[in-house]
Amino acid sequence: MSFRIIEHEGRRVRVAVVRTPKGVWVGYPGGAKFFADTSAKAGNAASTGDAVVAPMTARVVQVRTKPGAKVAEGDLLLVLEAMKMEYRLTAPREGVVAEVGCSEGELVDLGTTLVRLESS
Amino acid sequence: MKILVANRGEIACRLIAGIRELGHEAVAVFTDVDADAPHVRLADHAIGLGEPRAYLDIAKLIDAMKATGAKAVHPGYGFVSQSAEFVEACDAAKVTFIGPSAKAMRALGDKRGSRQLAESAQVPVVPGDKSIEDPAAAQRIADRIGYPVLLKASGGGGGKGMRRVDDAKQIAEAFAAAQREAKAAFGDDRMQIEKYVHPARHVEVQVLGDGKRAIALGDRECSLQRRYQKIIEEGPSAAISDETRQALHAAAVRLAEAAQYASAGTVEFIVGPDGGFYFLEVNTRLQVEHPVTELITGFDIVRAQIEIALGGSLPQQAPPSRGHAIEARLNAEDPYHGFLPQTGKLLVVEWPRLPGVRVDAGVAQGSEVTPAYDSLLAKVIAHGSTREEARTRLLAALRATTVLGVVTNQIFLSQLLESDAFKTAQTFTTTVETATWPEPPVPAYVDELARAAAVTVRRSSASGGDVYSPWQRLGGFRMSTGT
Repeated sequence: MSFRIIEHEGRRVRVAVVRTPKGVWVGYPGGAKFFADTSAKAGNAASTGDAVVAPMTARVVQVRTKPGAKVAEGDLLLVLEAMKMEYRLTAPREGVVAEVGCSEGELVDLGTTLVRLESS
Repeated sequence: MKILVANRGEIACRLIAGIRELGHEAVAVFTDVDADAPHVRLADHAIGLGEPRAYLDIAKLIDAMKATGAKAVHPGYGFVSQSAEFVEACDAAKVTFIGPSAKAMRALGDKRGSRQLAESAQVPVVPGDKSIEDPAAAQRIADRIGYPVLLKASGGGGGKGMRRVDDAKQIAEAFAAAQREAKAAFGDDRMQIEKYVHPARHVEVQVLGDGKRAIALGDRECSLQRRYQKIIEEGPSAAISDETRQALHAAAVRLAEAAQYASAGTVEFIVGPDGGFYFLEVNTRLQVEHPVTELITGFDIVRAQIEIALGGSLPQQAPPSRGHAIEARLNAEDPYHGFLPQTGKLLVVEWPRLPGVRVDAGVAQGSEVTPAYDSLLAKVIAHGSTREEARTRLLAALRATTVLGVVTNQIFLSQLLESDAFKTAQTFTTTVETATWPEPPVPAYVDELARAAAVTVRRSSASGGDVYSPWQRLGGFRMSTGT
């Protein structure tokens, strides 16, 4: 029931469309894509200039910065672990750490703001 | 006989099928988050273990065997599959461990021990040191053998606890990170160091032994990797000469026989640009990519493992190979954003049913992909009379695969298979990470479908009724009948 046949440029294509409270999934031959609902807050799950957010549900292994620290773009801020692999989160730009929103050992959800930066 | 499967996911499903095929009863174990997983539904018996890490809990697994009356256990890969301690616990509980003896596992499974054994069996090894205590020692040896070097966990595999280091400045931090990862993944933080052969191909030999004699079932090339985890595997290797192949197979058999190996195992080598090969390690277990060899030979490796463990005999010679097979690992990860693992509930799952295609899946519609376990959802494997036939069959299979609910590497797998590097068999262990793989654009109609569906979501919530039918409102295409 999720599958439909559409016609595109004269060819029949089998697609699957499922909507969720957060957006719409579309499956097409060879792939799938999620479209976040436009009414949902954009940028929730990506690191913007001022906030470094958790790119996935993970455990915080190391906090390598603290409030007031001056950082350069690319400096290591945190080490996360998910699915038994470690991931390094680095500063997206130069600045001063305004807030660290997590501690070592803590489990954080996708989209959680972990470090907030302000301009130096 | 009841045989317990001490694993989860696709490999547990595959093992349960093999056990039942032989007329035995399969006992599944599951953790709280896996209570409704496909492997639990497939098995004849199932018993809960509790918290998510319990697949590693030897005492709980032994208790589960006692409680269900299981007389043998297959560990699959990962978890307790390479734990000599688990094998000894099985021996003590009078349960047959389907795999090598604890002694052979200790001799081969530990990277230091296996290197010594390889050297004594005249199998060439990579320059390095099997035992480094601290970053300073690592740096001393690296200075001697030359950068780049590889830091590896002694007791592990699967890319965990492993770091490539290009110069002396990085070595202290890389050592600490690799050691932490090793400790977390295997509870063992011993480290080793070796020269990094570049550009290298990863070629491995599937062996099968009965404790006295061993045979080579074939070789596989697994050069396409990211973060030292394989993504696409094929067999036979398209890049080695017949002469190299014979030498590789003979070396692998010598090593298995020297270790008095009884079961299926894989001897991994790296092959340098000059065709020289070096022993890497032995995986003393069934491997993720074993179906590649099963498709080429028609030989069931799991069945052979069970038969050998129960006292059966090893075939006199290896079965003949036919054609070529390629496997793609469908992972819950975002290949275009650092291969970050993805979690969530699978909303739609549909596997291909096509000639020459095998799917080993561990998830189904409704499955929850959690951060507790690795990201492998399924393996799609294609067999053909030639490499090109296998390649196009696998591409067709990936086009006929649908997984919605979690971001996967599906498109990336096709992108790799369609690349010139793969078509011409010019793939190295660095190919995935050094080449640029731009995210392919989605077809225009996909955006249009999503917009139409999103509009309907808003209308639906405004009116309170279910008016989900975006199809009539789409301008660019029209509906056909059927599904």
